[in-house]
Amino acid sequence: MRNRSISSLLITLVLAIGAVVAVFPIYMAVVNSVKTQGEMFESFISLPTAFHWENYSDAFTKINMLNSSWNSAVISILGIGGIVFCASLAGYKLSRTGGKLSGFIFFLFIASMLVPFHSIMIPLNRMANALHVQGSTYGLALIYIGLGVNMAVFLYHGFVKSIPRELEESAQMDGCNQFQTFFLIIFPLLVPITVTIAILDFLWIWNDFLLPLLMLTDVNKYTLILSTNMLFGEYNKEWSLILASLVLTAIPVVLIYAFFQRFIMHGIAEGAVKG
Amino acid sequence: MPTKAYKTYLSLLAFTAPALILYAIFLLVPTIGGMYYSFTDWNGLNRSYDFIGLGNFVEALTDDPDFVNSLWFTLKYVLFMIVLQNAIALVLAVFIESRKKSKGFFRTIFFMPNMISTIISAFMWTFVFTQVLPQIAEKTSMLFLDQSWIGDPKYSFVSILIVSLWNGVGYMMIIYLAALQGVPQSLKEAAIIDGANAFQTFRSVTMPMITHAITICFFLTLNGAFKVFEVVFGLTGGGPGRSTQVITMNIYEEAFSNNFRYGYASAKSVILFVIILIFTLVQITVMKRKEVEA
Repeated sequence: MRNRSISSLLITLVLAIGAVVAVFPIYMAVVNSVKTQGEMFESFISLPTAFHWENYSDAFTKINMLNSSWNSAVISILGIGGIVFCASLAGYKLSRTGGKLSGFIFFLFIASMLVPFHSIMIPLNRMANALHVQGSTYGLALIYIGLGVNMAVFLYHGFVKSIPRELEESAQMDGCNQFQTFFLIIFPLLVPITVTIAILDFLWIWNDFLLPLLMLTDVNKYTLILSTNMLFGEYNKEWSLILASLVLTAIPVVLIYAFFQRFIMHGIAEGAVKG
Repeated sequence: MPTKAYKTYLSLLAFTAPALILYAIFLLVPTIGGMYYSFTDWNGLNRSYDFIGLGNFVEALTDDPDFVNSLWFTLKYVLFMIVLQNAIALVLAVFIESRKKSKGFFRTIFFMPNMISTIISAFMWTFVFTQVLPQIAEKTSMLFLDQSWIGDPKYSFVSILIVSLWNGVGYMMIIYLAALQGVPQSLKEAAIIDGANAFQTFRSVTMPMITHAITICFFLTLNGAFKVFEVVFGLTGGGPGRSTQVITMNIYEEAFSNNFRYGYASAKSVILFVIILIFTLVQITVMKRKEVEA
């Protein structure tokens, strides 16, 4: 038994050290974000003696917090909504229809799942230019739909197999057309996989950096991440301001994490197993 | 009967059209377009361009030391990430799984960094590396902390790894945790009754039951690590010089800030794609075979 308690203690120790490392940068950012520059350079570790909230109000205006969060939210919501709408329709139908054409379309979707974004960013940029969607929030959402449907189609395709066909047949006998059958009968049954897809896509779109960087040129349309990136470049070494903006940028995701932790973890595990 | 087949096709197209159109415009056509331009000397501006066969590929691999260096640097990074990210995530998952009361707490803490955008993580760590650690070193005389974490290529590789791991381990840990929960308690108990110690139980009972998760996590790490961009961009910007430049940054620089050699940059993109494809296919094939054996 003694052996056991020692190993148990060791495990706790490792976990505790790990937890400190995991929290350390966040803690440092939060604690120092309310200090003045001078106070910071005396000691980063010490707790603040007074709360300098002006760092936050300053950062809040400089990253245009409300506006950039709104932009991020619009892009994420439209992107996720579009992916779910397009991919559920396609995934369902491809799963239910046999034949060569159906197989070919499905293959077309999954064939590109390994293509890295960096391999298409140059032509994608040209394409966005040619279609005049570059620089637009809605255009960016459209691009996210185009880039995100393949994975979602794949997940829906697999999930639909577990839904018995009898449901649709009886709905059709009751006089539903195909679209009614889908939206009234099938789609509600797809909720579990839809939640998984929505979560994975939210983490991707909300935190994405490179695509918005390439697509958005107008500062007023910047996402939260882009605004913070700009501030980091402009106010180099003004750490109290930078840290306050980093904390502000992290707050929305941490809140979402706090509320949806279970769904997020379930979604990741589920998405991984299916993918 | 032809009307029925026609109807089936029509409804298939109606259901798949929204997804297919956006997918074709923003992913499929750019993919094919990129491959097409990789064989040309297009500069992205002129209407005319010439086919130069494999010229771009030959130049990238033989006559572009910056690209080749970024290739090696990325490979080294991928190797370290695969080993470290999976080892740490698995150890954390096993340790957390063994706790009763503090399970939820540790899981929450370890996953939290993953929620924060990679580029924001890189900025937070820039603060830690350039400001906090040197000060701690000075005050506590733990001098090993006072390094040029970002300015010296020897150490900046380590700092890039630290930030990537900090940001990425949580994701893999969640997948491993889910897999560990699927291992029946009765099997582990049976092994212990048979006299196996904790390590033996893990190796002979738990490991074979979670090989599927290991394959997935290796795949995700491999795939993600080749595409590393934000961490390096936020931390070192590829510097000093180009000493920490990764492939994706090299492509980015070639295409968007250098000299508008779109054809050449496209060839580099194709090389990246082919490398990822080969590595993933080999990894999946090898590990799937192992899975079947186990």
